[in-house]
Amino acid sequence: MKQASSRQGGMPANWLGGLYRAGLVALLLFGMQGCATYSSSFGVIENNLITKQYDVALKNLDKQKDDKKEHVLYLLNKGMIERMKRDYSASNASFEAAKKEMDSLYAASVSENALSVMVNDSTVSYSGDSYERIMLHLYMALNYLELNDPGSARVEVLQIDEDMREFAEKSADKKKIEDAFALYLGGMIFEELGENSDAMISYRNAYNVYKKYQSDYGMAMPNELKSDLLRMAKRNGLNDEYRRYKAEFGMDVPAGNGADQGSLVFIFNNGLAPIKREKAINSMDPKSGTMVRIALPYYESRKNAAMAARVTVNSLQRNTELVENIDAVAKKNLDIHMPAIIARSVARMVVKAAANNRAKELARNNNNKDDQLLGMFGALALQVATVVTERADTRSWLTLPGNIQMASMMLAPGSYSMKVEVLGPGMQVLAAQDYPNIVVRKGHMTFVTQHYVTN
Amino acid sequence: MRFTSVMNFKVVALVVLALSMAGCGTSVKRMDTGEVKDLSGAWNDTDSQLVSKEMIDDVLSRDWIAEFKGEKKRKPAVIVGEMRNLSHEHINTSTFVQEMQRNLINSGKVKFVASATEREEIRGERADQDIHASEATRKAAGKEKGADFMLKGTINTIIDAASGDQVRFYQVNLTLISLVDNEIVWNGEKKIKKFVERSSLRF
Repeated sequence: MKQASSRQGGMPANWLGGLYRAGLVALLLFGMQGCATYSSSFGVIENNLITKQYDVALKNLDKQKDDKKEHVLYLLNKGMIERMKRDYSASNASFEAAKKEMDSLYAASVSENALSVMVNDSTVSYSGDSYERIMLHLYMALNYLELNDPGSARVEVLQIDEDMREFAEKSADKKKIEDAFALYLGGMIFEELGENSDAMISYRNAYNVYKKYQSDYGMAMPNELKSDLLRMAKRNGLNDEYRRYKAEFGMDVPAGNGADQGSLVFIFNNGLAPIKREKAINSMDPKSGTMVRIALPYYESRKNAAMAARVTVNSLQRNTELVENIDAVAKKNLDIHMPAIIARSVARMVVKAAANNRAKELARNNNNKDDQLLGMFGALALQVATVVTERADTRSWLTLPGNIQMASMMLAPGSYSMKVEVLGPGMQVLAAQDYPNIVVRKGHMTFVTQHYVTN
Repeated sequence: MRFTSVMNFKVVALVVLALSMAGCGTSVKRMDTGEVKDLSGAWNDTDSQLVSKEMIDDVLSRDWIAEFKGEKKRKPAVIVGEMRNLSHEHINTSTFVQEMQRNLINSGKVKFVASATEREEIRGERADQDIHASEATRKAAGKEKGADFMLKGTINTIIDAASGDQVRFYQVNLTLISLVDNEIVWNGEKKIKKFVERSSLRF
């Protein structure tokens, strides 16, 4: 009797008790989040890049256009693929849009962060990691250089400086986050514009950061920078500094750095940046019988057979040397963020376990047998949802190169044909490309970049 | 039921919190000028107009025009040279330059000659006329008016930032240089200072 009346009259109160509440939350959680992580959806585009089908890659990328929380990444990837197909104006338009979007995400979202406590870190709009932000400016600067607009490239250099200061202020230890190649390129841009003292300062800062890279990543100081430092110190009349570099590097200003020549700078974007994967631990809380899960991201290097590139112009030949190891920088960056990621994950586990226990308790305490059963179903659905939604945030800028290399040569003014050969581990040639009509102007730098993706 | 009411309270609290947050976006307070609409705090049309107006008023009120007129018995001819952007922003200097040029021409006190790129185009047209245009309408080469002065300058910025807030300081410098003897006949400067506050929270 009592049972029947409660079914008909007071249907919401008890009926909703278990199944409805817990189940609704479960449904909501499912609705929030697809089951695949961001990085696992990128394979198709990566294959397009390997086969150099840039237009197809852009078409495939366009499917991600409407993902609001990943819109910054969509724009970054778009800009990068556009510059792979040498459309530098379009690339800069995409990058500039990404920059705007990043700025609008400067303020932390209360609603998104609240949700991330219940679901996972991917509910927060991706605003770009600090090193990605610097790379964005760096590639915009390179685009402007290819468009023969060093004045605008200079603007990007100043923005890098501004951003580095902002990151330092935001970081816990107030330490300045510095990027060696961004500083080095800044020096080259100042030199190109005839601002010798600014160029000297940038080269010197790059030198200091490369020293840190030496101890952090075991990366050697680029020889190009050594000769730039020597030349610029000599030109600015910094004789003590010049002598110090001469002794430290065991070299002098290379011959043939004549004022009647121009230089050709080739920048080789090698492979792709590391990809974030998920590692998860699933475990049962023995006391309550509740499933708990922690999922954390880690970086996995992309496969890349290319070691360096060989640049040939007439009888001159140069091998590229490493100027930026993005693979290592990204991994180190994630290490820095890891304590916070773990802390958020643990907090989430506690919240989810508490919700699960509460749902079970409510179901168990229900006097009505049928409602109790329904309540248990609801609690189970919630349990499944809380575990399934616990996914690592594997978002990152995947079309960045794994590393950046550089080679430069001094040439008499004129038009040249440049040959670039990509070299494998045994120095065998993996691919070759010719660049006709490269114009070198007296006292100026000509920049050419290439992005090579292989597996 | 107790569970539900607690939940309800939490939801209401969250909504109230959310609504109170919605008001604070990026806010810009301009210093030293009247009513202006600023959005991001970056260089905009208002800055361009302000600077060009002030600069033109200044350059036209100085002695160099009268001196030139007294000596040469004609208005000085001016050409716009390079406007270098040394700031940390992508500023479209050509709109700024055009604004200045328009104001200078309309003042009627100076004459303007076409810039280097414009000249190239016009010379191309003249060469074309030499072959295709009738004798009566053909314009001969070698009759161009040479400029007496070149106007050139720089835009610079200094940024001071702390915990999201910024003071942006813009400095525009213009010089008018005599093409005869490299003498700087006028040097103008205009500074703009903005305070940009950025909120650290959004909904």
